[in-house]
Amino acid sequence: MIPGRLHRAGTGLLALALLLAGCGGDGGKQPINLAGGVPVGAVLALTGNANVYGQDQKIGLELALKQRNGVGGINGRPLKLALEDSGSDEPGANAAFTLQINNGMLALIGPTLSQQAFSADPIAQRRGVPVVAPSNTATGIPEIGSFISRVSAQSSVIAPLAIEAALKLQPGLKRAAVFYAQDDAYSTAETTIFQQTLKGRGLDPVTVQRTQLNDQDFQNQISAALREQPDLIVLSLQAVDGGNLIRQLRELGYRGLIVAGNGMNTPNIYPICQKYCDGVLIGQAYSPELDTPANNAFLKAFRAAKGGATPPQLTAQAYTALQVVAEALVRLDKRLPLAGANLVEARKALMAEILSGSYATPLGEIRFTPEGEVIQSQFYVARVRMDPGGRSGRFALLK
Amino acid sequence: MDAGLLEQMLLGALLALSVYLPLRCGQLSLATPGFYAVGGYVAALLSTGVPAFAGTGATSPLPALLVEMVLAGALAGLIALAIGGPVLRLRGIYLAIATIALVEILRVINLNLPFTGGAMGIFGIPQPFAQPEGYVAFTLALLALACWLCQRLEALRLGRAMAAIRDDELAAACVGIDTPHTKLIAFVASALLAGVTGAVAAHFFNSWNARAGSFDASITTLAFVVFGGSRLWPGPVLGGLLLTALPELLRPVGDLRLILFGAVILLGPLFFPQGLVTAERLQRLQTLAALLPRRRGAPLAP
Amino acid sequence: MDLIQILVNGLSVGAVYGLFALGYTLVFSVLGVINFAHGAVFTLGAYFTYLLIGGAVGANGLLAGFALPFALPFWGALPLAGLGAALVALLVERVAFRPLRRRRADPLLALITSLGAGVILVNLIQLLVGAESYAIPTGALGGLPASFPLLGARVRTVQALLLAISLLLLAVLSLWLEGSRNGRGLQAVAEDAETAQLLGIDSTAMVRLAFGLSGFLAGVAGGLVGLSVSIAGPYFGIGYGLKGLAVLVLGGLGSVPGAVLGGLIVGLAEACVPAEASGWKDAVGYGFLFLVLLVRPRGLLGRPLPTKV
Repeated sequence: MIPGRLHRAGTGLLALALLLAGCGGDGGKQPINLAGGVPVGAVLALTGNANVYGQDQKIGLELALKQRNGVGGINGRPLKLALEDSGSDEPGANAAFTLQINNGMLALIGPTLSQQAFSADPIAQRRGVPVVAPSNTATGIPEIGSFISRVSAQSSVIAPLAIEAALKLQPGLKRAAVFYAQDDAYSTAETTIFQQTLKGRGLDPVTVQRTQLNDQDFQNQISAALREQPDLIVLSLQAVDGGNLIRQLRELGYRGLIVAGNGMNTPNIYPICQKYCDGVLIGQAYSPELDTPANNAFLKAFRAAKGGATPPQLTAQAYTALQVVAEALVRLDKRLPLAGANLVEARKALMAEILSGSYATPLGEIRFTPEGEVIQSQFYVARVRMDPGGRSGRFALLK
Repeated sequence: MDAGLLEQMLLGALLALSVYLPLRCGQLSLATPGFYAVGGYVAALLSTGVPAFAGTGATSPLPALLVEMVLAGALAGLIALAIGGPVLRLRGIYLAIATIALVEILRVINLNLPFTGGAMGIFGIPQPFAQPEGYVAFTLALLALACWLCQRLEALRLGRAMAAIRDDELAAACVGIDTPHTKLIAFVASALLAGVTGAVAAHFFNSWNARAGSFDASITTLAFVVFGGSRLWPGPVLGGLLLTALPELLRPVGDLRLILFGAVILLGPLFFPQGLVTAERLQRLQTLAALLPRRRGAPLAP
Repeated sequence: MDLIQILVNGLSVGAVYGLFALGYTLVFSVLGVINFAHGAVFTLGAYFTYLLIGGAVGANGLLAGFALPFALPFWGALPLAGLGAALVALLVERVAFRPLRRRRADPLLALITSLGAGVILVNLIQLLVGAESYAIPTGALGGLPASFPLLGARVRTVQALLLAISLLLLAVLSLWLEGSRNGRGLQAVAEDAETAQLLGIDSTAMVRLAFGLSGFLAGVAGGLVGLSVSIAGPYFGIGYGLKGLAVLVLGGLGSVPGAVLGGLIVGLAEACVPAEASGWKDAVGYGFLFLVLLVRPRGLLGRPLPTKV
């Protein structure tokens, strides 16, 4: 049916494409393109089903960019942020990472999801581009390679604190029920820690209920769990599914304590569980109530931009990620002026600079291990306090 | 064009061919992403779990990749063979939905098996090629092979039987074509191609998880074929290449990117109901191609 | 597990699935295609309800901070949201279906054009109102308690309402299909469009009617589900869309009672999954569908597809 000549022409075309593909590759001695500012790239899930995380992160990056350029940028030269959407899947993250690297970014912030990180980070590693992850909490992210770091602490350090806090509030707790979303990387990682901690305190979970990230109706799991008459319910869920689960738990008559993991540390839960959010204990890597100059400046900027609201943890972490890169760039530029430097060496030197510094951020004081894992001095447990109308609330720190 | 994107486009073209094969005999099967996911798991598990497959050098050995592809294709093909008989008795949209159901069932199985890494999946998959260009060359060869086979099909009895079933299944059966057998061959070939593609993709994407095969992917791969044209093999290839590249090419429009992408998907079939590639357009192209060298070659003629 | 609780849980979830599939099936019955934009129309219904009860748009998106100058009570907002969704469904018909019908193109194409329309709608929602969750306040039902006991089980009031309204809508729809001129016209077109045309039935008008009704049902379902759980961003309806597809085919394409029966069966089957196996819950509906199709290739209550001769 297809003419033979065309077939051959097609084969020829394919061969040509192959040839073109083979001709790529960067020179290695390329200078840094400083036109318009010092280029840093970000790759966030702005579309797809993780869009709400990307949306929160984008605000943080914008605020950090404004802050940095308000105090003179990178030693007088503005910081230039290029933001690309990764969608919520791995192919999108890979494409966006490659694009940013090809465009000569000195460092990358992102991607939003841990699964995306496992796919896209190796690209940055192979090409020697520093990555600061603002929200990946899975085990093994910094271990991807020497160029990969993160400011988002793992659940293993935060989760046990919330359980301790619950036991301090009600020492007589006996029957714990556990919920987690089995198709979500964060949830499955955190619940392991929760369950270990519970067992360590002699509180073997009476039931473990698995949900799906996109589930909205949890009556089956809830009635199954409530039959076991738990007095403590521990959730490793994200804001939307977690918020709905809390509401349904309360509506179906559960009165006991609820401990929620780090994924629900966002005011995005307020409109979901509304008045039923009240009293929930949440493990936090970021507390809006932290009273430090860095956090107060961040809060002020956030409230000016978004009108009186409380910033989510993801926003604070994204802000922190860009702050870390910017401060490292300032130090690097003093040591090795970016103007004359070549891109490959500058990226390598920047990574070393990022890891060697210590930073006063909205998250508190942070540093990095040589592998790129964040060392954060403070974690928090907050109790949600909803306003009487159930529309808004605050994360009151437990003392 | 960037080699990484080119590789994603080539993978898209291979998946489109996998949807095209059953469609060539009139079977609207959307099971491709399910087999793609299975194939990817085979490669991911072997290359991270068996030292010989990972190799010892900077890159994993190429023969290992070939073995993985064979095994991935074989497993996907076997699954297709096992379920193909009963499933292919379904017709039209029922078959489409049943195969979507199959993709979802495979996704849940992949998520729940004890050795597939759960939600996180399998990561740190070794690289057979140091550069994306290596993947491009390899996948291009694979695509060329697949295209060549599709082209050969036109001349074979099997290919003509498939076309006859697409045009009229009852009539085909009446002239003695073993329709269930032919449909099964197309279905298994489709699964095999998807499995092999998954094996390459798992390496290229560095990690693999159950989200590789989802409902969205089913519909996207169908869009490749409808967009490019479902009658001739260059159609799906072109559709797969173009629609994979499109979201990337639309990056300059920023927030409107996916809205425009949706508009293209919406308008494409309205303006090109037969797809971009049709027999007439190919004919016209051929006439053009025949004219060009003649004009250039004329002065050289003795 | 106690039977009553399973029944209650299963039926209330199944009612939503059924309501969702009902919209799919109306369009399928007249056009023989699946409208992949249906999930997005459902999502819009939820957003419309939220806006009509006086809800304000959040801090993201082009409409940041926007709120309607009035606030309706929930029961007034719901039908209006349904009408709004119906208008959107008509628009989808106009751009994604009618041009294909006029050209007598392969119905397969409508899968893709409606997918495109869905992608546009979902991303338009995000552009306008952002990706965050919105919620219809729990107080929207007035003084009703959040849940009540029933024969030893506990039922959320919203779920009971969902079940009741779905069944009511089904009953009204069935009566209307059998009893009214338009309803019978719709059935005639579903049976055989060309014969119907010869009998003087305006099949284009009937297609529009089917889309309008399907949009209305989706909008109302979206508003109701938004009351039960929060409106989880622009992708709110997608998960239901996928389940609805299984339900639709399980019940039999184009069959109105089939859609509801399918919904209740999938809901019940999911409710029967024991806690230890809750990870497999999502496979239950599809597994069930798969098995039913193998035994009965046209679904439980569907008509056989016409055989090409």
